[in-house]
Amino acid sequence: MIKLVDVHKSFKRQKVLNGINLEIEDGKTTVIIGGSGGGKSVLLKHMIGLLRPDSGQVLVDGVDIASLNDRDLNEIRKKFGMLFQEAALFDSMNVMENIAFPLREHTRKKNDEIRQIVEQRLKAVGLSGVEEKMPSELSGGMRKRVGLARAIALHPRIVLFDEPTTGLDPVMTEAINELIMETQRNFDLTCVVISHDVQSIFKVGHRIAMLYEGKIIEYGTSEAIHNSSNPVLRQFLSGSLEGPISVM
Amino acid sequence: MNRISAVIDRFGRAVLDNIEEMGKILILFLSVLMWMVRPPLKLRLIFKQMEFVGVKSIFVVVLTGTFTGMVMALQGYYGFRMFNAESLVGSTVALGMTRELGPVLTALMVTARAGSAMAAELGTMRVTEQIDALSVMAANPVKHLIVPRIIAGVVMLPALTIVSDFMGILGGYFVGVPILHINEGAFIKNITKMVDLGDIYNGLIKAAFFGLILSLVGCYKGFNTTGGAEGVGKATTEAVVLASVSILISDYFLTAIMF
Amino acid sequence: MSSISTEAKVGLFVLVALIILGYMSFRVGEGGFGLKKKGYPVQVVLDSATGLEKDASVQIAGVEVGRVEDISLRDGKALVTLRIIPEITLAKDAEATIKAYGILGDKYVDIAPGTPGEERIEAGGQIARTGRQADIDKLLSELGAIAGDVMEVTASLKNTVGSVEGEENIRAIIHNTRVITEDLGRIVRQNDAKLSLMVENLSEASVEMRRAFATLNSIVEKVDRGEGTIGQLVENKEAFDNLNQSLASLRNITDKINRGEGSIGKLVNDEDTVENLNASLQSLGKSMEGIDRFVSKSEQFRTFLGYRGEYLFDSGDGKSYLDLTIRPKEDYFYVLGLVTDPRGERTVTDSTTNGETTRTESWEKNELLFTAQIGKRFKDIALRGGVFESTGGVGVDYFALDDRLKLTFEAFDFGSDRNAHLKTYAEYRLLKHIYLSAGWDDVISNEGGESPFIGFAIRFEDEDLKYLLGSVPIPK
Repeated sequence: MIKLVDVHKSFKRQKVLNGINLEIEDGKTTVIIGGSGGGKSVLLKHMIGLLRPDSGQVLVDGVDIASLNDRDLNEIRKKFGMLFQEAALFDSMNVMENIAFPLREHTRKKNDEIRQIVEQRLKAVGLSGVEEKMPSELSGGMRKRVGLARAIALHPRIVLFDEPTTGLDPVMTEAINELIMETQRNFDLTCVVISHDVQSIFKVGHRIAMLYEGKIIEYGTSEAIHNSSNPVLRQFLSGSLEGPISVM
Repeated sequence: MNRISAVIDRFGRAVLDNIEEMGKILILFLSVLMWMVRPPLKLRLIFKQMEFVGVKSIFVVVLTGTFTGMVMALQGYYGFRMFNAESLVGSTVALGMTRELGPVLTALMVTARAGSAMAAELGTMRVTEQIDALSVMAANPVKHLIVPRIIAGVVMLPALTIVSDFMGILGGYFVGVPILHINEGAFIKNITKMVDLGDIYNGLIKAAFFGLILSLVGCYKGFNTTGGAEGVGKATTEAVVLASVSILISDYFLTAIMF
Repeated sequence: MSSISTEAKVGLFVLVALIILGYMSFRVGEGGFGLKKKGYPVQVVLDSATGLEKDASVQIAGVEVGRVEDISLRDGKALVTLRIIPEITLAKDAEATIKAYGILGDKYVDIAPGTPGEERIEAGGQIARTGRQADIDKLLSELGAIAGDVMEVTASLKNTVGSVEGEENIRAIIHNTRVITEDLGRIVRQNDAKLSLMVENLSEASVEMRRAFATLNSIVEKVDRGEGTIGQLVENKEAFDNLNQSLASLRNITDKINRGEGSIGKLVNDEDTVENLNASLQSLGKSMEGIDRFVSKSEQFRTFLGYRGEYLFDSGDGKSYLDLTIRPKEDYFYVLGLVTDPRGERTVTDSTTNGETTRTESWEKNELLFTAQIGKRFKDIALRGGVFESTGGVGVDYFALDDRLKLTFEAFDFGSDRNAHLKTYAEYRLLKHIYLSAGWDDVISNEGGESPFIGFAIRFEDEDLKYLLGSVPIPK
């Protein structure tokens, strides 16, 4: 379970997070929505300790990861998988080695066993026969699938998605959404998804949180959010220029 | 008045920035040292970097070393001929190569070839979040990316330098003996007489330092890249400039200490 | 290209670099480097060591035989310590001089080794005689004095010759000389007849002289025949008889000795004594020879016993080596030893049940492996080959810091089913017999055997074993 308590963060003089309080439920998919450059990625990076808050607590299973040293933080991180915006596959390794990387790092498995797991994970994300390809030879959608395969290689409990559908065509977007849902069900994952794609939000999200001006202004089930009367949320969902969100 | 204070302000900020950067590089170096002694060592990655820094630089190093030795022999010949001391050309080339030109030229060539590549590679990995991906997978980026490069730099530079030294002396020999007709016996005798083991070894110690500098600077600049493709380009340029300048400056101090 | 692995490329390159380094150190260090270790010190006190530097050459007849080790001050003079290679012996009357290569060249110490057969200078001794130094400053000041003298002479010459009066005088002298020679010529021409007469007289005088010699000859002949006083003295029969008598008695004594009469005669003439003496001398000679051979062989011959323990970090196991190094000559050696390997030997068995193949690996723990290598040392590099941990392999050692530090690289076990066993480590001599080492074992293992290790070793020379083995014939 991930719990954020009054998290503040600023870069230089710009306040990005201004007292975030949020509790991610286990076994569910939580979608965090908000405007571009509104600090969603920053929030996500706090959950896995890539960034440390200026003040406040980030609790993972009751442990405040903001105050951990590297070694203990790495132990916590083994519970996580993360799919980055551009998949962040290692250019210098082929698909096989990319997915095998966390296995080689954290297990003492033999080559044959690792190969088996990699094939299994690739099948789970709907790919096969791409083991020997380099990331540069793959399309954007395939890269994301490989990224997801890598994220779930170690059987994590929590998977973080940083804008999984950005830059994909509608068909591929749909395919990735399906994949997220399927993976979440099959591996019984706690998922946190960052998105500003309204179609996807209601498809994959059990819970939805709205980040606006450094705070969580709404949090609830997808129906509750759908029916919310919050003017900011209404403007965001409808994509209207009229409302409290200033475009300029 | 306002203008003057602005100039002072800018100057002070530049000095502070430089000092801050030096401090950051030092901290990176310390964490490299810390991760270096923590097993398991990533031998495969180290060998890969050694191949990149060392084996693939052999050609340029051989080329620069040989031609530097040849040019030194040619220039030295015109000078020494005035004193009928042509046989000193060999020892001049040998001393120059082993003490200074071997290590410095090798370091500058490798900076241009490998130091820049390190900055570009790590910079790209930074902006495409590959470094974050490493962290997320509980794999320390310093250990995986920087330690192998630093080790490769420190180990391979002396190896390349000894090749450069040797090729330089060989180049000097080929210009001196067959082309300029300097007496072969005197040429070689002067080399073995004037060059000490210390000259060679101190040159190699220098080279190891330069290897540390160029790989550390390359990694630092790449590791701290911001701002997309443009940032990667900037980091690469800065790495080459900073590493080259640092090598030349530290060369003076190393020489002052050792010789 | 892809058939050569990254590791092999890097290894090859490092090896080539090491070989070049070794070659260059060898060439550069010729004489100088080896000398520092061997060689014996000799001191010499010089009035001045101007321009002489540490490590300057020491030469005999232009051949380098040592280096200057130290220069210090003693009682206002320069105390120079030289290190001379052991093959060179200097006699007590050796003489040291500082010389320079040409006018601008470096200074060196030239030694005249002295009379061979004189008592030699031992290590730490002193060369008492020093030659006059060809000091360029002194030379220049002497040249200055000479130039001054020359200038004085030329000045006075100038005074006498350079003036108008002098010039006239010289002209007069030359004129006079010509007049005199002309006169002389005239005199000779005019007195031609008289001169020929003079020559004739001279030849007559020589005839007279010959006649006088003939007379002298006849006088000597007379003396010879005993005529006249001198003749009688020479021909005195009595004196001659005396001499004859004393010679006869001497002859008598030696005859007696020869016949075995008297004590000396008996001793000398006894066959047994002589034979005995001869035999004992012969056997002494033989045993001396034997001792000689034995001692010289044993002196070169050295054996070392060593134990080395290594702690492998990754597996947490220990590895022990017990080595016997036999070194019949300075530059080559044999290593025999036992190794306990914590991982032992792997056996893989495939068994098939119901069409399913299961593979079981078992490890024979604590197997005893053995080592048998032959090695040769070239200056700072030793190459070894033979049996490493019960498999074939090769090794390279690089020695530095007067052999205190040893860098070793070994490659063995080139089995086809796994990567070769590479091992690299550095060993440092901490105390006299105590060594510390650190390195990696099985560097490119594909079976997880790769591990850094630290080790500790005891190694000492075994004197008893040496003499035991020294008497066994060893093929050279």
